Amino acid sequence: MRIDPNMVPEMLANLQQSQSLLDTALQEVSTGLSVNEPSDNPTAAASMVQNTIEAGDLDVYTQNVTTALSTVQQAGSVLSSVVTSLTSAVSAGTEGANGTNSPADLQALAEQVQAILTSVVSAANTSVSGSYLFGGTSTATPYTANPASPTGYTYNGNNNTDSVAIGDQTTVQINQPGSQVFSNATNNVIGSLSSLVSALKGGNPATIETATSGVDSALNYVSQQQVFYGNAETQLNSQETFLQQDKVTLSTQADNLIGVNESTAATDLSEAETDNSAALAAVAKVLPNSLLNFLEPPS
Amino acid sequence: MGGLNTALLIGVSGLDAAQGALDATSNNIANVNTPGYTREEALLNENQESESGNEITGGGVTLDGLQSIRDELLNMQIQQQTSLQSATDTESSSLQQIQAYFTSSGTDIGSALTAFSGSLVQLSANSSNSAAQQGVLSAGQSLASAFNTTASGLASAQTEAQQQVPDTISQINQLTQQIAQLNGQLAQVPAADDGGTTEDQLDQAVQQLAGLTNISVTKTNSGGETITTGNGTPLVIGSQSFNLTSGIGAGDVQKVYDSNGKNITSAISGGTLGGSLNIANTVVPGFMTQLNTLASQFATAFNAAQAAGTDSNGNKGAAFFKGTATLANAAAGISLNLTSPSQIAISSNGAGGGNGNVANLSAALTTALPSGLTPASSYASIVFNVGTATSNANTQSTAIGDNLTQLNNLQGSVSAVNIDEETANMLRYQTAYEAASRIVSTVQVLDNAALNMGSGTSF
Repeated sequence: MRIDPNMVPEMLANLQQSQSLLDTALQEVSTGLSVNEPSDNPTAAASMVQNTIEAGDLDVYTQNVTTALSTVQQAGSVLSSVVTSLTSAVSAGTEGANGTNSPADLQALAEQVQAILTSVVSAANTSVSGSYLFGGTSTATPYTANPASPTGYTYNGNNNTDSVAIGDQTTVQINQPGSQVFSNATNNVIGSLSSLVSALKGGNPATIETATSGVDSALNYVSQQQVFYGNAETQLNSQETFLQQDKVTLSTQADNLIGVNESTAATDLSEAETDNSAALAAVAKVLPNSLLNFLEPPS
Repeated sequence: MGGLNTALLIGVSGLDAAQGALDATSNNIANVNTPGYTREEALLNENQESESGNEITGGGVTLDGLQSIRDELLNMQIQQQTSLQSATDTESSSLQQIQAYFTSSGTDIGSALTAFSGSLVQLSANSSNSAAQQGVLSAGQSLASAFNTTASGLASAQTEAQQQVPDTISQINQLTQQIAQLNGQLAQVPAADDGGTTEDQLDQAVQQLAGLTNISVTKTNSGGETITTGNGTPLVIGSQSFNLTSGIGAGDVQKVYDSNGKNITSAISGGTLGGSLNIANTVVPGFMTQLNTLASQFATAFNAAQAAGTDSNGNKGAAFFKGTATLANAAAGISLNLTSPSQIAISSNGAGGGNGNVANLSAALTTALPSGLTPASSYASIVFNVGTATSNANTQSTAIGDNLTQLNNLQGSVSAVNIDEETANMLRYQTAYEAASRIVSTVQVLDNAALNMGSGTSF
């Protein structure tokens, strides 16, 4: 049978194919990706849309956890210091109520408790990077002195709380308003300290005792509030671990979807190079060949 | 009994035959690289021998002409495959262009959705921070721009395909006129004879026409070809050609009309014309509808989440996105409605009331839209559709390309000029010519010898 004498189109087609394989192999090795455009693997490209969004969110969730953790830890340590202060106020009150104190002693105790009150108010006014830990969501200084108020202070914040997103559909409440922690209607920390100061100044042991027990119950109340921050810290820590695992899962998924196996890619590349060289060598060898090369030139 | 003259005449017929065959070889070699050229062979026939008494004398050789060697069936298969090939090539190159807009590049809709979602998560931890608020606004702006860019990318692919239609049709009309003219010339050639060059040109023109649209070819008795489109609309009958026209109809649909003004768009599937029509009328509008639906439903859902909250100025959340009222223009028209970060509805319970609504804004990105898919899945399904369409077109183009290469090889094995074969033939005819001329010179010597017989003087 006669064969197609024109080898050029087929040779060019072979060359083109080996060059396109070389291109693909080179691209895979240089980008580290087997899917560089949707047509390379439509299913993987579509799955990557979700994966990229989740991975992007995950990074921000992790940042949020770090920020929230620092807020919650600071609030927790502020409350610890308040508990310590209240404990010393209770001792001062107990000492003042024993009926053996001179007016000068009582005055000294009153000043001591007044100092505690000031430090508790300043603790309640703690701010972290411009926002108050116990002001609700308000930007106003939570407690300011107000002689007209029975407690001597006014709460300027609001009763709102902030929740931070730390996962898909997962949020954590990171603050409690001062109105709940420090000036609650039933366990008013600031109010009970103010009453103790007044009672100590008044010098009546019975009143001092009542006021002291008020501070004591406020102390118990604040200890309970610490639990809220402890729980939040536990939740944030476990979420941080979960986010780290999730990040590994997502990047493994991404790698499976569009990543390239380096050894396969390297082998493909060297195979493609060899193919291409062989195709080029074949063209160079075969093309100039014809019967004319073997004929005697006309004399 | 034949005389010396008989030998002379036979020798001369050999000279003529060898010369004619050399002509064929020479023409073959000259046209070795001419596209559409089919090789010629000299048709040599033995002349009737003459009988005289018991003696039979050969009659020499006649050159009956030159015959082009072609396979009509192969030609037709090649025409069909060429139609398919150029349709998928046209589609593949358009889709390649389109899919660039859906490739993760940092500015595509997927990347913009990622950034927008991240900015909202960030806002939840820093709701009073103006940088975080500005971040949401900027990411929203980028998302709207990504929709705009993608929509304009699709629109320009559609326009390009639409513009290709009238160009292709004018090429088709030119070719059909040329074919009609060649048909006219072939009608002058006796049916039994080979059409030679004219037929080569005809085949070549029909081949080009097949690359432009799907055609059906019928051989006529006169050796010409009747050509119709897929649905039988005549393009060429005998020496008459019929022009196609095009126009853009309602709904931006590109249409093709026959010479009587009848709409034949749906009958055209192959060739550059079929590919362009498919891209302009079906493929791009399909993607565009999905993209518009996503843009419109997403904007509505996000605006609803925004309306559920209160902004930093104490007002009810105003629409975040605008410009999606007309569905057909949603992706191209979507833009940011808010002008200040303070307009983001962060609070769910009044001014300065915490960040309760940020969770609602975030949820708008992960909640199913009326389409049944979340914004991300909805976009992912468009990516999948674009990717699949491109990958299918590429695969099909490669497969048809392989098929076509094989058919061309087959055609080449029948019709292409082989230099080695021609060189060998040249040597063959050269030898034959030399031998025949030797006969002539020998007869001349013999004639002289016969004339000089019995004569003192030599002639």
